[in-house]
Amino acid sequence: MNTALKNIRRSPFQALSAVFIISLTLFVVGIFTLVTLASHVILLNFETKPQIIAYLKDGHTTDQVAGLISTMTSTQGVKNAVYISKAEALEIYKKSVGNDPVLLGTVTDWGIVTADILPASVEITASDPSAFNTIVSIMEKSDIVSATPQGKKEIDFPQDVISELTKWTNAIRGAGLILIIALTFVCILTVMIIISMKISGRRTEISTLKLLGAQNLYIIKPYITESLIYGLLGAFFGWTLSYIALLYSTPFLAPRLGGVISFPIPYWINLSLLVGLLAFGLILSLISSFFAAARFVKRSR
Amino acid sequence: MVLNDVNFSVSPGEFVVITGKSGAGKTTLGRLLIRDLLPIKGKIVIDGEDLNQIKPKNIPLIRRKVGFVFQDYKIIPDKTIGENITIALEIGGYNRKKIQEKITELLKIVGIPGKEHLFPGQLSGGEVQRAAIARAIACEPAILFADEPTGNLDKDTSVEIFNLLKKINDGGTTVILATHDVTLIGLNPDRNIHLEKGKIVSDVDGKPSKSEPSSDSSSLREGTPTWPAGPRRGKSHSTKRKININK
Repeated sequence: MNTALKNIRRSPFQALSAVFIISLTLFVVGIFTLVTLASHVILLNFETKPQIIAYLKDGHTTDQVAGLISTMTSTQGVKNAVYISKAEALEIYKKSVGNDPVLLGTVTDWGIVTADILPASVEITASDPSAFNTIVSIMEKSDIVSATPQGKKEIDFPQDVISELTKWTNAIRGAGLILIIALTFVCILTVMIIISMKISGRRTEISTLKLLGAQNLYIIKPYITESLIYGLLGAFFGWTLSYIALLYSTPFLAPRLGGVISFPIPYWINLSLLVGLLAFGLILSLISSFFAAARFVKRSR
Repeated sequence: MVLNDVNFSVSPGEFVVITGKSGAGKTTLGRLLIRDLLPIKGKIVIDGEDLNQIKPKNIPLIRRKVGFVFQDYKIIPDKTIGENITIALEIGGYNRKKIQEKITELLKIVGIPGKEHLFPGQLSGGEVQRAAIARAIACEPAILFADEPTGNLDKDTSVEIFNLLKKINDGGTTVILATHDVTLIGLNPDRNIHLEKGKIVSDVDGKPSKSEPSSDSSSLREGTPTWPAGPRRGKSHSTKRKININK
């Protein structure tokens, strides 16, 4: 450990660049881990929600609704059909906006927005996505489903959103993965070059150690320790940066994802991320230093 | 070919001086002993172990059996004398607590007590050579090969270094001294092997080889610590270790 710390003190700029590149890599890894987690939660949220929502005209009767639900449940490919009243719609809205005081403040019994302005609806979950078109065409024929002034029936078809979201999520994941792989490669190369330079500078010492009967492990131990220090420091800084980024983006994200993800992010997620990044940093630095050290030790007598 | 048709064996506890001009093959002989070089032909056997046959992973173990004092000292310049000796002791498997005691003891033996905190650059040539000897004997090797240890030293210091090697030999360590320094040859060694152009031209055995370390060796240099200090050495080394070189 002492030799490793001495090596770091001797060439602080090399140490700084190693820590910087590891921090950058692990910051990106941290951010993309959070983004992947968030997109997974968002997708799950969309998938567990009703897939087709038909908004109903005001003044519909219970019989009419029961008739529509009965027709829908008897249709092939429909798993479930539920009636959502105006009051229930208000509750769902309140839940979806989370704790945002601005959005909640608009929903008051004495203000502009009340439960009356929210439409009742029939929410349908399909067991087979291929039945979507049949379901929608049946709903379009129903008299109690409301229509826009242009005569288009008000039926939400979030499957499009899901497929779009899946596409985006996959694209982000793909780009993130490529970026992480590229950065990891650069990171390993950089640490390897730095450690190689340090070993190369002490070639005479290494050959003396070998002549004195030192085992290879004894010779490479200080360099591996040095690299592990870089890995740990880099991981910690990378995590700190991603935590700061998360804190800064919370005011922007909270109102938009409030109903889906709870903010602030629970501490155990951040802690798990720190542990994960530390492990990744250690593996990264271990691989780099091992390759660098093994190459030189093999070459020297 | 540096060495050719070289055939000799060294008994445990012997003090052998190998002489010869520069390029005669003295250093090559030493390098062969620590398996830094491999012979094209022939055998080198240390303590019954054929160096040609040993596995690469066992080379460090052989090198720990042979303490080597290098011509150019090979003392790491940016480490203190204490740290340099520590390296050898760590390689030898000594624990942290024992290392400090051992350094103090070694520096006393080689005649530079209390200099463990100094860097090689702060010492004279003779003192650095003594530090190199301390490092070489740190792990109590059975054999000590000193390659031109007096090459860069004045006559008086050379004699002091020779006496130090003799003292180490008196403790039971087999010492092989390679030198071209004629002043050392006349200091009555047990045995003198003379090399010329890679061949042995004379092998003069002055005294019968010692099978046991002399029990009164310390009295020869009164007031100086004796080597070895511990009970580990002595009989086992002097009765078992043997070198055969056959090229």
